[in-house]
Amino acid sequence: MSLDLETKKAHAATRKVGVKTPNTILERLLVVLSRYREASIAVVAVLLVIYFQFGSDGQFLSAQFLGVVLRDTGRLGLIAVAEVMLMITGEIDLSVSGTFSLAPYVMALMSVAWGVPLAVGAVAGLLLGVLVGAVNGIITVRFRVPSLITTVGTLFFLQGIVVSIYNSQPIVTPVQEPFNEIFGESLYDPRGDSLWSWHSLTAFTPLLWTALVVAAMAMVLNRTTFGLHTIATGSNIVGAREIGIRTDRVKVYNFMIAGGCAAAAGIINTCQFASADPAAGGPFLTLQAIAAAVIGGTSLLGGSGTAIGSLIGAFVVATLNNGLVMMGAQATVSDIYLGAGILAAMILNVQVDRLRARRRI
Amino acid sequence: MNQQDIPALDPATPVILEMCHISKAFGAVTALVDVSIKLRQGEVLALVGDNGAGKSTLIKILSGFHQPDSGTIVSKGKEVHFGSPRDARAHGIETVYQDLALIGDLSVYHNMFLGREYHKRILGLKLLDNRKMRDLAKTYLDTLGIEIPSVNSMVDLLSGGQRQSVAVARSIYSSPTVLVLDEPLAALGVREGAHVLGLIQSLRRQRNVSIILIVHNYNQVFEVCDRINFLHSGEIVLDASTSDTTEEELIRIVKSGLGREAIAAAAAEVQRQMTQS
Repeated sequence: MSLDLETKKAHAATRKVGVKTPNTILERLLVVLSRYREASIAVVAVLLVIYFQFGSDGQFLSAQFLGVVLRDTGRLGLIAVAEVMLMITGEIDLSVSGTFSLAPYVMALMSVAWGVPLAVGAVAGLLLGVLVGAVNGIITVRFRVPSLITTVGTLFFLQGIVVSIYNSQPIVTPVQEPFNEIFGESLYDPRGDSLWSWHSLTAFTPLLWTALVVAAMAMVLNRTTFGLHTIATGSNIVGAREIGIRTDRVKVYNFMIAGGCAAAAGIINTCQFASADPAAGGPFLTLQAIAAAVIGGTSLLGGSGTAIGSLIGAFVVATLNNGLVMMGAQATVSDIYLGAGILAAMILNVQVDRLRARRRI
Repeated sequence: MNQQDIPALDPATPVILEMCHISKAFGAVTALVDVSIKLRQGEVLALVGDNGAGKSTLIKILSGFHQPDSGTIVSKGKEVHFGSPRDARAHGIETVYQDLALIGDLSVYHNMFLGREYHKRILGLKLLDNRKMRDLAKTYLDTLGIEIPSVNSMVDLLSGGQRQSVAVARSIYSSPTVLVLDEPLAALGVREGAHVLGLIQSLRRQRNVSIILIVHNYNQVFEVCDRINFLHSGEIVLDASTSDTTEEELIRIVKSGLGREAIAAAAAEVQRQMTQS
């Protein structure tokens, strides 16, 4: 009798269907790739750095050049992470580059025309970005316009406003310390400053702010109810509604976060160059940011994504852009690699999921 | 699992939930016409009828997903209004939808506590208490005898029966007063179906929770239900106790014709026979 029970138990153990333990190397690889999306792109990033370091005779890892790449990473990463949360809900925002131009332009205008301190103007710009996000979100969920279309509309709208305010002239913004040095202006002088000084730190402020936002987003996504509901909304919107999640509200909030991040990125960019350029954020910037998010492992179909991956993705895009030019390639050639990179990343993401689902590991 | 296992429900048991004169139309399509149902404490009520009869609409009104055009819902003697599924859940009405409403990209334990997450405060931030939810989910699923590889598994990776079990477990976790199951056995194999049926039977035996069950298999209706409401073209045409009617009679109603009148006539015939005997 007891023996019989034992065999039954053993039988039940082997009968557990659904998920099996990975056996082959391929299956283990699939599990790692799909669980730690960031891992695969981090490997790609390291390989790229090695390639460019050798290809440029050691120029890539110089403080000067790496500073350029990392500042680009910061700018792109902040917009990319803005897209991540939104893309997880299954929506997209193409108007972020419009906000990227508008927010600092408003800040600069307020400062030049009315003498408003930059810090106050920055807050106004940030709120404006959040407002643009709210409008995008409300048009999308209330009027049921696909966000792809909504935000193409607001992109042209915002871009139109920026160029019409001041005849598409860039505005030279005043430099007000410590605001500028905290938010993007680089005081680093390779001749006089040590690497471990405040001046050296300012060379990386765009990246540091982005890293801070990315860390916050990663925590929101993985450790808060809002993050859980964001994933639920993108993964199964009907099911999420049936369980009582206010999916419309979740989407609007994520649009607002995206708008705020884009505005912040624009303001940091303006502080960096002490100039608000209406053409700073072309639509191409949005597309590069989306590419960074996708390369970093965020699905365009909603339901999954990673904030940290988007920062690594931004680094890969910035590295490709700058590295190829540094090695003497035309700027246009780097786009070929970028395009191929996006396609490869997207194919990898989709196929890893499919293979994993089919093998049930 | 026989009818004799469980004593019939005492007719004097109080009514716990009533839906009165519910009508609902989606644009030009009329889904429900003046439908009323009653549910007593601990009763298992079967809602049967063809595809498009309005069963799912009726229970989606009860769960707060849809709002009725007219009619009222009375829960424990008080009229209630459900503006959203949250409201219905707050009144102790839990629903397992046909699509299960599970989130494939989330783990089993996150699904279990979706919409009623546990939190802990770290440095003033309200963060998810994942460990607590994981432990509670594991203990609870073990108590119900539900076998899944791990509560950490993504729901996407579970089999159909495992998903069904998780969805049912989620809905009874908060000890609801009314449990609504929309085709809980569809898409299940024999063994998995028997497990879910057993779960329903054990709930029925305790008579703590009232259950509304949408099923297509009339055999199962007689196995686990106390009463049957037959819905046709948005109207209730038959309200009978399973002890007063038989499977054959039910099938006769279904086969009596395509028209509403034919079905209504056949249902009336069965009803008359019941009152005579």
